[in-house]
Amino acid sequence: MQPLANVTPLRSPPRAGAIQINDVGQVYKARGQDVLALSQVSLDIKPGRFVVLVGPSGCGKSTLLMMLAGLRQPTSGTILINGTPITQPDPDRVGVVFQEASLFPWLTAEDNVEFPLALRGVSKAERRARAEEALKLVGLEGFGKRHPQELSGGMKQRVSIARGLVQDPPVLLMDEPFAALDEQTRMTMGDELLRIWAATGKTVVFVTHSLTEAVYLADEVVVMSARPGRIVDQLQIPLPRPRTYEMLSGDAFSSLRDRIWRHIRKSA
Amino acid sequence: MERMTNTLARIAIVLALFALWEVLSRMGIVNPRLLPSASDTLATLCDLLRRASVRNDLLVTATEVLAAFALAVPVGALIGFLVAENRYFADVTKPLLFFAFSIPKSIFLPMFILVFGVGFSQKVGFGFFSTIFIVIMSTTTAVESIKVEYLTVARSYGATAIQTAWRVYLPSMLPVLLEALRISMIFNLTGVILAEMYASRDGIGHQIATWGENFQMKQLLAGVVMIAVIAIAFNEMIRWVETRCSHWRT
Repeated sequence: MQPLANVTPLRSPPRAGAIQINDVGQVYKARGQDVLALSQVSLDIKPGRFVVLVGPSGCGKSTLLMMLAGLRQPTSGTILINGTPITQPDPDRVGVVFQEASLFPWLTAEDNVEFPLALRGVSKAERRARAEEALKLVGLEGFGKRHPQELSGGMKQRVSIARGLVQDPPVLLMDEPFAALDEQTRMTMGDELLRIWAATGKTVVFVTHSLTEAVYLADEVVVMSARPGRIVDQLQIPLPRPRTYEMLSGDAFSSLRDRIWRHIRKSA
Repeated sequence: MERMTNTLARIAIVLALFALWEVLSRMGIVNPRLLPSASDTLATLCDLLRRASVRNDLLVTATEVLAAFALAVPVGALIGFLVAENRYFADVTKPLLFFAFSIPKSIFLPMFILVFGVGFSQKVGFGFFSTIFIVIMSTTTAVESIKVEYLTVARSYGATAIQTAWRVYLPSMLPVLLEALRISMIFNLTGVILAEMYASRDGIGHQIATWGENFQMKQLLAGVVMIAVIAIAFNEMIRWVETRCSHWRT
């Protein structure tokens, strides 16, 4: 365990979050037959970028995210994060925010946030200090003692984000984190996430079904097709930051969203 | 406030039942030879508890119960865990466990006597046999109650197998396991006392059967009250731990 105390909290070295996905394929067996889940996926993500993966159900976007997290191995090709291959979960490089209900209900919010640190034997005092800081960053100062079931859906996902950030990894992976939230909360959480992203400079890879959410959040939207999953389009989102609610009804926004929709309709 | 009034209401119901018991017997509405009064029964109970032979019977039964419990719970939990963790093993054995669970265990009692003779091992063996199936099935349920999401989270943050067992499996399973422990004890107590009543030389179950055969109703009822109080006390103790450990369960 390396000392963490002297590292500026929650701010990674600027060049650490580079992701290179080179010609990645994923094959799995179903009823004795090989099924090609992902085919020839290559993607270069610069540090600090906000990249959103979209595509029809079964296009392998979640599979790709799980591979970035080191939870699954590609059948072919390589994935490099910060220049070295990712072959197993590495919380130093990657934090993961899951879909709803991934917090441990028997732990308080702060204990949930401390969980990754506790696994590595970080001292109680330092754990608490870092958890407090992470909770403050996500706007949950003073809620540390609550249990998840005492928090709203949006607050729970804030705790999940704090847990993903507490080890200060350069990369944050998010698997449909706001899918279970209502419309208003989802918009608020989107703005909150952008604020946190701007404050921390993380590379974010975000999976969603919502095209509006994709365009609203992203620097770049990666569109995937179904079976086998492959990249069919990569759109730069030239909208200025900070993004605002008014942009949603603008022509630029609509034409970007329409372009993504045409791809998805074609491949679904 | 509501909790307190509920408790008071419960106490009132129990007192009313005892009062009804007393009245039925004292007024001769029910033959007092068949139903001695509550006060007589409680007086007999105090008298019995002072007798060395009865205390010895209680000790014998307690030892048998604890021995059977201490064997059945870990062995059953281990089997249940292996069944639940291995998909193939679970698919094969689960229906068989359900078959075994559905058979009334009491029909095997004569076989236990033939194999073990009348004595300590027969009663512990039968208590073990009565309990283990419910432990296996509850443990299986406990393991299956762990959400896959929790395991994925632990894995993505680099948890080792031991850390996952300690920090995810155990707290996740604890409420179900405690409930299993409580219900297992009910089965265990029933098994041991049944074995004692059927064929034994000592133990409180043996005494109760003897009092019944000799038409000693006061002693018989005192024995019933005694066992009831012990069983309720154990049950409530585990339930108390349960509520403290399962506050997060909804």
